[in-house]
Amino acid sequence: MDFFIQLLTDPIGFYNSHELLVAQMGINAILAISIFVTFYSGQLTLANAGFMAIGAYTTVLLSLYPRWPLPLDMLLGSLLAGGAGVLVGLPVLRLRGVFLAIATIGFVEALLLGVILNVPITGEGQGLKNPTADPLGGIVPILVSIPVLTYLVWRLTRTRLGQAWAAIREDELAASSNGINVPLYKMIAFVIGAILAGYAGALETHINFFVDPTEYGISRTIQILTFAVVGGTSNVLGPIVGAVFLTALPEILRFVRDYRDVINGVILILVIIFRPQGIVGRGGLALIRPRWLHRRGRVRGSPASAL
Amino acid sequence: MRNVARGTAIALGVVLAACGGGSSPGSSATTNSYQGKTIQFGAILSLTGAGGVYGPSSKKGMDLAVETINKAGGVNGAKLALTTDDDASDKAQSAQVAQQLIQGGQLMALLGPTLSNSAVAVHPLAESFKIPILAVSTTGIHIVPDCNYPNATPCRFVFRDSLGEQTAIPINIMVYAAKAHPKTGVLMVANDDKFSSDGGKIVAATVAQYGITLLDTVEFSKTTADFATPVTRAVQKHPDVIFITSLGGIPAKIMIEARKQGFTGQFLGGNGFNTAVVSRQAGDSGKGAESGSAWYLNNTFASNADFVKAYRAKYGSDPDQFAAQGYAGILILADAAKRANLTFTDLAGDRTRLKDAMETVNINTPLGRFQFTSAHDVKQTVWVIAMDGNGGFTLVQSVNAS
Amino acid sequence: MAQQLLNAIFIGSIYALFAVGYTLVFGVLDVLNLAHSAVFMLGAVIAYSLVALHGAPFWLAVILAVLACGLLGLVIEYVALRPLRRRQAPPISALISTIGLALIFVALVEQATSGSLFSWLWQDGANSVRFPSGTVPNPTLHLAGLTIEGTKLGILVTTIILMLVLGSVIRFTQVGRALRAVAENRKAATLLGIDVDRIFASTLFISSALGGLAGILFGIAISDISPYIGRDQVELKGLAVIVLGGMGSIPGAVTGGYLLGLIEVLAFVRFGSNIAAGVAFAALFVMLIVRPQGLFGTRLRERL
Repeated sequence: MDFFIQLLTDPIGFYNSHELLVAQMGINAILAISIFVTFYSGQLTLANAGFMAIGAYTTVLLSLYPRWPLPLDMLLGSLLAGGAGVLVGLPVLRLRGVFLAIATIGFVEALLLGVILNVPITGEGQGLKNPTADPLGGIVPILVSIPVLTYLVWRLTRTRLGQAWAAIREDELAASSNGINVPLYKMIAFVIGAILAGYAGALETHINFFVDPTEYGISRTIQILTFAVVGGTSNVLGPIVGAVFLTALPEILRFVRDYRDVINGVILILVIIFRPQGIVGRGGLALIRPRWLHRRGRVRGSPASAL
Repeated sequence: MRNVARGTAIALGVVLAACGGGSSPGSSATTNSYQGKTIQFGAILSLTGAGGVYGPSSKKGMDLAVETINKAGGVNGAKLALTTDDDASDKAQSAQVAQQLIQGGQLMALLGPTLSNSAVAVHPLAESFKIPILAVSTTGIHIVPDCNYPNATPCRFVFRDSLGEQTAIPINIMVYAAKAHPKTGVLMVANDDKFSSDGGKIVAATVAQYGITLLDTVEFSKTTADFATPVTRAVQKHPDVIFITSLGGIPAKIMIEARKQGFTGQFLGGNGFNTAVVSRQAGDSGKGAESGSAWYLNNTFASNADFVKAYRAKYGSDPDQFAAQGYAGILILADAAKRANLTFTDLAGDRTRLKDAMETVNINTPLGRFQFTSAHDVKQTVWVIAMDGNGGFTLVQSVNAS
Repeated sequence: MAQQLLNAIFIGSIYALFAVGYTLVFGVLDVLNLAHSAVFMLGAVIAYSLVALHGAPFWLAVILAVLACGLLGLVIEYVALRPLRRRQAPPISALISTIGLALIFVALVEQATSGSLFSWLWQDGANSVRFPSGTVPNPTLHLAGLTIEGTKLGILVTTIILMLVLGSVIRFTQVGRALRAVAENRKAATLLGIDVDRIFASTLFISSALGGLAGILFGIAISDISPYIGRDQVELKGLAVIVLGGMGSIPGAVTGGYLLGLIEVLAFVRFGSNIAAGVAFAALFVMLIVRPQGLFGTRLRERL
């Protein structure tokens, strides 16, 4: 409980000694947003960790070898992740449901095992050292990005694009017969998710002194999935809440720190069975019910109904 | 007028400072009183996860040292206090734990982390916060002094008391080559583990000068469960020696599998061989496997014999190399603290004073006589040991520090 | 090379055994049971516990452990799957809830150290152990320059026998027929009076028992038991196997298992271990795009 005590009584001190934790919460929040976008369009894609890896490695490699300035490296990293999103999405988005999930898992593992672990320039098994890391300063772009990205994604869901996504999620066949270009919109969602994940990866390397292939395995993706599921996927706040909550949980639960994976698993099961709309879901018992988010243009159903 | 006042103040200050700093190095009389104070250290160890085989040993050694020193009156009357946190063998968590320890308290120095992998993340952090950190089990390359490798600037605050593979492996090979004159070898290395990979590089760079040709380097993932395939590749080359640079359960598995497949040659290894757990796991298959170690259980000199006796009394089991290095780590920090003339009011300044005092450490530890090199690396005797097939080791030869 | 091929066959048997359980559940129940790898691990852990901590003879430990895993299958069904079926949740939810269950199983074993709550089951925490030597007689034969281990041979034989038995059960018994009916069309099966809930329970029981057995055999042959063997060794590879072989097809799972074993060993001999796994996943990826039903799958799923 001293976590909360310190948080409430000495917020500055708390922030100072927990900066890395807050930064990690921020990064996880951005990752959660990236999976929200694809969830919103009805796709369960588990490739975010792979796109994260692309963003991360590109950023570090560009700052190690041609030594381009950091913002440029991060931009290129995110865009490259988006490009990979296009390449992967083309063949894969025809699939649905479980098959899509597995195909995206396959992509990530093939990327990690086949490419990253065998190409010397990536440092192979041990990853790379990041010379421009700035653990304390690096938190600033993270904290700035979150409200910006949240707003952007929220706006996006309110546009015609967003409505198309919602329609696809509800019933792909109906949407397509209504003239919506389903493959195109699905691809757009997928690529946006990829870019965001790549960006998160780039940000993460900036606060760490290293980039390492073990960070981007299947456990990472499952972790991101958990953020979205527990937080709720009816609107963009949900995954963010899920990310912040679940990242802080090991700290809050320091006294049962050893069992935190058990608790994670239990939370996941409880949520999926009893409250699939997550913490921030619409529905009778939503803990946080941001009505103002749904003031205009109510969308029938929500991603949670896909769970 | 103002100038005179200022000049007087400065002169007064200089005189006072000269009096205050008047203790000669090596003497235990300090001007600052340590009585009743607490010197706080923090340790980041892998108590769970892949490194969980080593972390608890380090902790036991450290705890014993703290207890022993405090019982004997502490450091000039100041008590030692040690906080230990688990990093679960995860790099990112190691960094987070380190940051919390550094910024959350009044720590004079840090110890750890357990794994070379985590050190990559934690040591630069300690350096940037200017807090001395003493590695007690990392033996890979680019730990000291270049913790920010490939940046070659030496890290002033990073030290280690864990004998590096760079020293231990060549000595081990030299000793074996001198008596058996092997001609060929195969290197088996886990390429996704920094420790193993570094060890592999050292082996590859060393063998030529002892007339050994490396026929093959077999790389595998540290998560490999079935070693039949990689071992087959190695055994089929019929080398005189198989070099194994991994840690954890891997060396034992490789040795057992190789013997099963009919290999009768020699095993030479790195730090991964140096615990009783591995010797026991390997059993008969590991008998005679040699490695260079920082410590040997049955050394009879006082600083080791006393340590072993106290350890057995407190924990009911034998210590291992990691416990010895953890114990030595606290001894080193305590000795430095004694000579550093700490103020206990200026934390940042104290950390730097401690760092400076650490550089001139020269004490008896369970590892033997210990000093730091100018690169903050280890200067001690290397004990070449062999597994005895029964969960223990015998001493093959000791090689003094050059 | 012949030795390496032998290695491939042995590891392929384990993959095959594991994948069969996986594919059974997917084929009949339309659920990807990601807790299967945790049951694999628990099979090994329980058998080890019975032998090393409680002194049971090996044959008894195996029987009990396999039964225990079957029961775990029921746990999976009642805790993770049935509540979701009741509210007609889509398949993705089952995926997620089995992931949660797997997390719990692994974490509980990981935390079980001597003196903890579960120390009657497991005392080694995150470490890796082996069956005490002598648990299973393991004569090593040296034939024509090859090393053949008794245990590995035993695994091959066991796998073949089990596959034949399973095949017969599905083909010739009433339970088997019910399984096939449910696999074909769940609603129609209900109309025919088949108790779908019971079929779910039986399928999960059989599948988990097989998975647990695969884990025990793995522990014996590879001399490695830890909380992570499910996740590191078979979880994702099992996925690759059933995709390659065809999800829902038992012959596919068996073929896929041996195929993967072969790919791994050949790729290792040529390139090194990481490429091997990368190749497997590249194959998975390609298969999903080109022929999502895998080599042997015949079920056309409307989701395609």
